[in-house]
Formats: sequence, C-alpha cells, structure tokens
Amino acid sequence: MGESPLIRDITFGQFYPAQSPIHRLDPRVKIVCTLLFLISLFIQRSILGYAIATLFLALVILFSKVPLKYILKGLRPVILLLLITVSFNLFLTRGEELLVQFGFIRIYKAGLTTAVFMGIRLMYLILGSSIMTFTTTPNALTDGLESLLKPLERIRVPVHEVAMMMSIALRFIPILLEETDKIMKAQIARGADLDSGNVFQRVKGMVPILVPLFVSAFRRANDLALAMEARCYHGSEGRTKMKPLYYRRRDYLAYGKMVLYLGAMIVFGHFVDFDV
Amino acid sequence: MEMVKAEKLIFEYDKRDKDGNIIGANRAIDQVDLDIAPGSFIAILGSNGSGKSTLAKHINALLLPTGGTIWVNGIDTKKPEELWHVRQSAGMVFQNPDNQIIGTVVEEDVGFGPENLGVPTSEIWQRVEDSLRSVNMLEYRNHSPNKLSGGQKQRVAIAGVIAMEPHCIVLDESTAMLDPAGRLEVLRSVAELRHKKKVTVIWITHYMEEVICADKVYVMDQGKIAMKGTPKEIFSQVERIKSYHLDVPQVTLLAEVLRGRGIELPAGIIEPCEFVVEIKKKVKKNSGSKGDKGAGCMYLNSENDKRAGDIPAIHLKDVNYTYGADGPYEKKALCDINLEILHGQMVGIIGHTGSGKSTLIQHLNGLLKATSGIVYYNGEDIYAKGYDRKKLRTQVGMVFQYPEHQLFEVDVISDVSYGPKNQGLSEEEARVRAIEALELVGFSEKDYHQSPFELSGGQKRRAAIAGVLAMKPKVLVLDEPTAGLDPKGRDGILNQIVRLHKQTGITVILVSHSMEDIARYVKRIIVMNQGGVLYDDKPSEVFSHYKALEKIGLAAPQVTYIMHDLQDAGFSVDTHVTTVEAAADELFPN
Repeated sequence: MGESPLIRDITFGQFYPAQSPIHRLDPRVKIVCTLLFLISLFIQRSILGYAIATLFLALVILFSKVPLKYILKGLRPVILLLLITVSFNLFLTRGEELLVQFGFIRIYKAGLTTAVFMGIRLMYLILGSSIMTFTTTPNALTDGLESLLKPLERIRVPVHEVAMMMSIALRFIPILLEETDKIMKAQIARGADLDSGNVFQRVKGMVPILVPLFVSAFRRANDLALAMEARCYHGSEGRTKMKPLYYRRRDYLAYGKMVLYLGAMIVFGHFVDFDV
Repeated sequence: MEMVKAEKLIFEYDKRDKDGNIIGANRAIDQVDLDIAPGSFIAILGSNGSGKSTLAKHINALLLPTGGTIWVNGIDTKKPEELWHVRQSAGMVFQNPDNQIIGTVVEEDVGFGPENLGVPTSEIWQRVEDSLRSVNMLEYRNHSPNKLSGGQKQRVAIAGVIAMEPHCIVLDESTAMLDPAGRLEVLRSVAELRHKKKVTVIWITHYMEEVICADKVYVMDQGKIAMKGTPKEIFSQVERIKSYHLDVPQVTLLAEVLRGRGIELPAGIIEPCEFVVEIKKKVKKNSGSKGDKGAGCMYLNSENDKRAGDIPAIHLKDVNYTYGADGPYEKKALCDINLEILHGQMVGIIGHTGSGKSTLIQHLNGLLKATSGIVYYNGEDIYAKGYDRKKLRTQVGMVFQYPEHQLFEVDVISDVSYGPKNQGLSEEEARVRAIEALELVGFSEKDYHQSPFELSGGQKRRAAIAGVLAMKPKVLVLDEPTAGLDPKGRDGILNQIVRLHKQTGITVILVSHSMEDIARYVKRIIVMNQGGVLYDDKPSEVFSHYKALEKIGLAAPQVTYIMHDLQDAGFSVDTHVTTVEAAADELFPN
C-alpha cells in the first residue's frame, strides 16, 4: 500500500527513535532548555554569539544521533516563510552603506546583515525545537508540559485534559494526513480539479475534500472516546503513570551545561562587543 | 458463576423524525438471554444491524440495558459504583485498528489501561512486557503504531486489554478490516491467549471460518438470539443460516449441494478432513478421472477475445515506481511491470498488504506517475505531453477502498452528479447520468434525496460506486469493494458489478483479498508480490500454486484445498477447481 509521497516528506514534529543521551533526558529538561536556547538566540547579535550557538546546536545534533539529512528535511515546509522573512529584511532595511542598487531595489549593508542573521536565527529556532520533538516521544513531551504546567491547576486550568488532547492530536496527525491524501486522490479520480481556477473556485473545490475529512475525524473521535472509556479512562483522578518523571543526575548535568552555554552567550554574545 | 449472564436484556434507542423529535423507540436488543461459562470461547454471529455490536457494548457497560439485566463476573452492570470493575473485568477490542490506539508508542499504549486503573509504576512495566509478549509483539514495544500492519495494530490493542488483567475479552468485529493474513494472526493470538491466560473470549464476527473452533455459537438476527449451539449444530442448518444473511464455510456448502444431489452426507460438516472421511465412506471407487483438462492453457486462448491487431485497453510497459525516490526512506513499490488488459475483460488482482497492488492501480488512471516505464491507454502514452489525463480519469473509473468515505454532498443524487459535472456536463445532463448510475447499482428513486450519511453501510458504498459509474468509464477499477461488508452486502455489490460487466461490456479490474470472491467472478487473476507480477493466469492455474501462495500470505479457496485433500486420500479428482459448484460437478456430476 505504501504512504503517499506527500506524507513521507513531512518530518517536522515527528519522533525519531534512537538510543542517545539526548533521547534519555527528562522531557522537562528538553522543554526548558529548548526555551532557553530560543531566548539565547534573541538576546545577542554578534558573530561570536552565533558561533557559540552554532557549536552548541551542532553538538546537540551530534549527540542526538538523528541524521542531519533527516533534520534538514524538517526545514523544507518552512523554507518559504524563511525566504519571505529574509527578503523582507534584505530589501526593506535602510542603512548608511549602500551595497547594490538595481532600479528601485536597494540593498544596504545593514539590510544584508539583518537578513543573514534573521535567516540564521529562524533556522536555528526551527532546528532547535525540532531536535526536541525528534528526541522526545509526543507522550513524554505532553507529560513534561503537564508536569511543568502543574502549578496552573491551582488556578483551575485543566492541565491534564489539555495535555491528553495534545497527545491525541499528535497521534492522529499522521493518520489524518494520510486520510487527506486518500480523499484527494479519490476526488481527483472523479475529475476534481484542485490546482486551477481563481481563489474562490479553489476554495469551493476544497469542499469535497474537507467535508469527508471532517466526517472521518468525527467518526474517529467517537471511536476513540469509546475505546478510552472501555479502558477505564476517567480523567487524571487516581491515575498512575507508566513513565513518571523524576530528575536524574544526567538531567541536572544537562541543566548545568545549559547554564554554562547561557552564560557564554550573555558574556560573549552581548557584553563583549564583536558587533559587525 | 457465569462469566457473563443476561436475562431478558432489552436495549432501545429513540426513533426520531426529520426534525429530531422522538417518535418512538427502535429495539436493537430484544429479550436476549446469555449464559457464558468462564474460560469458554463464544462466537456471536450476525449480519450488520443484527444487534451484535450493541450487545457487545453491554458486556463492557458502554451501554446500559433499557430492560432486563446483564451480569459480568457476577456484577450487575447497572450499578454505577461498579462501573470500573465491570470495564476492567471485560476488556473490549474494537473494529478499527487506528481508532483505538491512544499511545504514540506501542508500550505506552499498552500501559494506558493500567495507568487508568491506578496500578503502581513498576507493576505497569511488568504487565506491559507480559501482555506484549503474550501476543508476540514485544519486539515492537518502541515502535510507532502508525508503522504497524493492521494485524499487528489489533494485537497491540489486545495487549492493551490484557494488561488490565480482565477475566473476559470481547472482540467486536476486530478482524473485519484486516486482510486474510492479519485475520489469521489475530485469531491465533487470541486462541493462544485463551490457553495461557485462561480468559473467556467473546468473538463477534460475520466471517464463518473464524467460529469453527468456538465452544458455542450464538446467531443474532434483528436483536434476538436466533440460534445457539455448537458450530456443528449451527452449520448443519445451511438454509436457516442463509436466511439470516450469513454464510457457511465452503466445505459445509459443498456437502449441502451434494446432499441436494442425493448423496447421503451427514449435516454439519465444518472441516475439510471430515468431508474427505465422509466421501471415502460413500465412494469405494473414484468417480472417474476427468483427464488433465486444466493443463497449461493460457487465459488468452481460453477466452478467445484477443483478436490480432486489437489494442489492449490498458498496457503497462516496464513500469517501475519508487516512493520517496532518492530520500532516506526510498522504497521500491513496483518493479518492471508488464501487463496487458483487454477490452471487456474482468480481471482480479490479488496480493497481500504491501505487495504493490494499490500502487499498481493508481498508475492506471495516472494518479501516480511511473518512475520509469510507460502506461498506454487505448494505445496512447498517458504520460505524453499534452495528454488529457483529466479525461483519462473519466475513462478509467477508480473506486478506492472504503469509497463511502469520499461522499460529501447533501443528498445522494448531488453527490453522484459531482463526477459528471467535473466532466463539464450541464446540471441537467449530470442529473440524467446520476440517475442512470444510481439505477445501475440498484438504488430506488425514493433514496435519491437521502443524505448519503444516513444510508446503511452497503448502500453508502453503492452510492459511492455510482459516483464513479456516472462518469461512464470504459474501465472500472475497484480496490477491495467488499471490505468490511457482511455477506449480504458483499454479494449485493459483487453481483451488481458482474451484471454491469455483462450488460455494458465494461472492463473490470477487481482488487481483493477474498480468494473465494475472486475465484467466483473473474476469468483471469494477477497475483502481485513484492512489487512484481508473480502469476497471471486463469483462477484454476493460479490456485494450483496454493503452496506458493501461502508463502506470500495468500491462500486458495477452501474447495481447492478439499480437492487436494481428496487427491491425497487416493481419489483422482481434478484439483483445478475453484468454486463450490465446480467441485460438486467434479465429484458427483448432476
């Protein structure tokens, strides 16, 4: 039967099974560190800072044992977004030093540097967060989030329910993608034309795909609810965990390394002025 | 104490009119009594709508009775404080493998039940390991369920139930969506479990072959228990079984046909070996050899429908297809396919899941583009520049698996008109086409304006097939058109396709895993394996390779096995027999 080419290309957000030090870390460590890493990207703008971030990211990727090719494939769906951001920065930033002038297009040095760094930042942002999803099962991820957000339960935020919803959504994304592909093929086989016409016609052309997709999603939701009830699911009350979270030595060490990295970023990337 | 006991069980749900007002009650279960001993293997048979799934949901307290009482492990399911006990005692496995797996990793899914029960962590791990081992899925514990086959997913679901340490497992049509290899896989796991864990098994199905080894069979019809007894007792009443829109195994049917011809055979033969023993008693000498009439004539000669210079409807030349070419997940799905399908032929394609048959048919209307090689339709290269592939798709109609999932319109007739309208026909012409197509699949006029979502399973599927027929294709490709249907729905669809083929001369390509269906309806079978064509011949020849077929997860129809068994027992019978009628003629000519 085989999956469709469309589905196979999406690697972003998927778990990559492997035995690596990164895989073994507590999900909370990975969530917190990813957040810190993202912040670190925005608090500095020096070449040395980027070098440190690059080194850090490269080491993490190396230790994660996820093939680089697989990770880079995850970038593919966001390339367009990346290009738009970069070109906006490139063409619209005004500076003092004019590099290229071609008709109305003017590229300044400041524009070029912002564009390059913005591009790198965005790329690292995506790579950094995808390392987290590649090395953490969606369930562990939601467990981690649930545990980190636990304090919010005191102000009546349904943390457990939200976490359960997230993990179910993650489980069904690939299934629904495959289903979309099947329905699209079935309608194309009935002569549907999905690629031409104006915006209005295209939106109208989506109806024969969206309606069956929604019907199917509801049917699945119904089945799943029944299956969960049959297996005695009744919310978080009295529920134990197969994989409860507790910090080990390696997790504290990871936090330690993260603090070191952050320190380096703040010192070299921010205060030591290597600005371009 | 009985594992499950029911007395005068009644379940009703509201009957509503179009505006949602309650206008009465539908009785889904009507005065059912059950008496299921611990450790037994019980089968519940019934066609769609007979109430068997509704009954199953009562055993797990997913539904509560309207009247009467049901006790599970001695607990009345109506007591709200005992709800979790009931559900823990009677675990349930459902039909759709995808829709009952909650975890994104196999072991986490199996742990879901024990987590809900509040089992301590270390014990959860113990149970997960133990139950995965009991269904032979331990090596997949870290896999994502999405990468598993249907049969494997169902085994994970069973492990998930076993981890809750139930006294009883209810399997509600858990094999309906699987291929024959997957069905066997699940059946074997359950049989093994029953011995290892001493659990009661309640097996709900409409596949007759699966109930042969049950201790007791209940047949349900219109909410009532219509028959109960051992499989032998049940299957000795062929006519009665058929009146409930059910099937009997081919061997039972063969014995029945022979009885009709005056051969005295005992009623209730359910296994081929019994049949052979009985035939041996009846016939001292063999009934005369038929010679080697089946030897080696190719389908083309036998059908006489290939005339010199005829252009085949579809011609595949050296077709290769690779998924995710040049990527890390490159997978060769088709290799060097060469095929000719002539106008007016009815061809069957068989192959286990993953053999490439679905990929193959998607080349026939250009949904997939061959990585290399050429596909010709009526002698024209469909990948050529400027070739109108949109028109091709109206010529080669494609009915996908579970085609009812593509229905989307407010009423049946608009849905069926969707294809013709895409062809550029006017509203009126499209309507005329739609009506024609609906008539072809046996729809009555009163159902034209029904919502497609309110039809029964079989009707939905016929409406979806009409949606393809309305484009007036010259070639009709059907991928598993009978998947998930009960015997009545299955026969309805297949007979309609055959009638259509005879009336209009349309070329039909039928993909199926049901060997019995294929053998009955087609004159040529293409067997796919590992992306290549393994056999391409008439059914009797293809099924004579039954040993090779078994190796690739397929099988011959049961009658073919019976004929081989008879031959092994010293009868000189023609083993090239693939249908019950032919077998009867071979053994005792009318």
